Amino acid sequence: MSNYVIETKGLKKYYQGAVEVHAVDGVDLQIEDDEFTAIVGPSGSGKTTLLNLIGGLDRPTDGEILVNGQDISQLTENQLIDFRLKHIGFVFQSYNLIPVLTAKENTEFIMLMQKTPKAEREERVLALLEEVGLGDKLNSRPTQLSGGQQQRVAVARALASKPDFVLADEPTANLDSHTAANLLDLMAQLNKEEGVTFIFSTHDQRVIDRARRVITLEDGKIVSDIRQ
Amino acid sequence: MILKVAWRNIWRNRIRSMVIIIAIALGLWAGVFASAFVVGMMQEKVESIIRLEMSDFQIHHAEYRDEMDVKMVIENSQQIAEDIREKDGVIGVSQRVLANAMINSASKNGGVQVVGIDPAKEAVVSEIDQYLDTGAYFEGIKRNPIYLSKRVAEEYNLRIRSKVVLTVQDVNREISAASFRVVGIFNTNNGPFDEGRVYVRHEDLEGLVGTHEAHQIATLLNNHDSAESIASQFAAKHPDLEVLPWLDLATGMRLIIEMTDTYTYYIVGIIMLALLFSIVNTMLMAVLERVRELGMLMAVGMNKVRVFAMIMFETVMLALIGGPAGLILSYLSIRYFNHAGINLGTDVYADLGFSSIIYPDLDAGSYLGVSIMVVSMTIIAAIYPAMKALKLKPAEAVRKI
Repeated sequence: MSNYVIETKGLKKYYQGAVEVHAVDGVDLQIEDDEFTAIVGPSGSGKTTLLNLIGGLDRPTDGEILVNGQDISQLTENQLIDFRLKHIGFVFQSYNLIPVLTAKENTEFIMLMQKTPKAEREERVLALLEEVGLGDKLNSRPTQLSGGQQQRVAVARALASKPDFVLADEPTANLDSHTAANLLDLMAQLNKEEGVTFIFSTHDQRVIDRARRVITLEDGKIVSDIRQ
Repeated sequence: MILKVAWRNIWRNRIRSMVIIIAIALGLWAGVFASAFVVGMMQEKVESIIRLEMSDFQIHHAEYRDEMDVKMVIENSQQIAEDIREKDGVIGVSQRVLANAMINSASKNGGVQVVGIDPAKEAVVSEIDQYLDTGAYFEGIKRNPIYLSKRVAEEYNLRIRSKVVLTVQDVNREISAASFRVVGIFNTNNGPFDEGRVYVRHEDLEGLVGTHEAHQIATLLNNHDSAESIASQFAAKHPDLEVLPWLDLATGMRLIIEMTDTYTYYIVGIIMLALLFSIVNTMLMAVLERVRELGMLMAVGMNKVRVFAMIMFETVMLALIGGPAGLILSYLSIRYFNHAGINLGTDVYADLGFSSIIYPDLDAGSYLGVSIMVVSMTIIAAIYPAMKALKLKPAEAVRKI
């Protein structure tokens, strides 16, 4: 039994077409608890594909993905959906909140699907939104929030399910530098104080500078893995 | 929460949701109203057939209807008529003497069907007196009065007190003729019925054809539904006679009723099909413009059952708003036109024996039937868009612009 939160062994994802594309090509990766890791690389290097594979959104062509020792590449589609719900938090580039729900309801939504008891839900939602600095925006809908505020709701939502780790796909791509810095501060704080494991895909230098570990991909292969 | 999301989702695009709600309401209204229109039309026709043309059941000599021979009378017709009159549920009985005749007016000759009646008894059964257009119903002319349709009057250029000669073949195959004077002109607006029909007193016609018995006994009941059972009782009692309820007498009618039912199903079916595609189209748009959001929901762990349920709930909620609105609209419009009538403004229907004023009517069961059809159709229409949502790949969907 490994001690890694995430471990990939010989992970490959090939796309068939006129030309076979090796999006991820034999990646061996170990990520420990409490890491604040950035996966970087040029466009088409396989960052998002790797994140999708680790997050159970895509299936590998070959290799293993172990999350806390469990090989998720063997799970059925329904088991994967359930696995994502219970073990993984997602933050997307375009916030992707439910537009008809308020900040509070968006954060609560995942816990509702997890069938968390109401009292616990209420308490956690308020605490999380307070923590991300939106204690006064509980009843605002996404359209009433700025981009940075929406991404903060997305972070609160990602944490609501008490995931093993949070995957963030280019979380600052749509934010201005000030807002991006604030969001990074928040995530760094959550990582440091609450031990939340964050894995980003990014080519934003601000994110790379804040990461404690930077894994660089090129043509689907890890070309460097630096702890800073 | 899924219900809450579904409910709020349908109000994200108010115009689109209102379009679909109105489509459901109008689809339901069109289906219900089309059914009510046809039911109203058929009720008018059936009522007209029973009241005016056939009565509830008729008795003839066993071969009269095939041979149309004046000799084929009903023996003891008076006694049989009295027997029928004593039965519960009988409103009236009319003994009719029938003959095909040549009619000669000052301007034209032609063929007519002469019906010899007791005016008082006939009025109870067919209400032919109610259709009086000009003149009087067998009043004012003592010798050989004749009561004829407006069509006949116009064709033979006849007015009140005009003289006509009727020539018939009597029971001995001899030609027999008498002159009659027009006492009244009726107009039922039922083309086939009015065509070549004239009434005279039975005693006047009996004298001409040489018989004292009737060719036809027509009975009107207070409940048309009991026509078949009462007719079969008399058929059993008089096996030598032909006793037929109205539906067997109006031979084409059973077919017309069945055909009309079939047409109604087709019309309602076409309306439902149009509704189906309009809902599929709208819900598909609703799904396709939310690809990223649905992808996100699936990515964060919303399972397929919940995604499917959410889309279905959205559609069912639209149906639950549009459905009752359509039902209320249907009920009010049918109620209104049931009193006011819909004037088709043409005599074409009258020529076919249908009323040109239709009073739509529908029983509660049909409202329910069409409502169930619309709601089922809505649910069926939602399946394809919901399936489409399930086929989304979250990894791709979340990055869709």
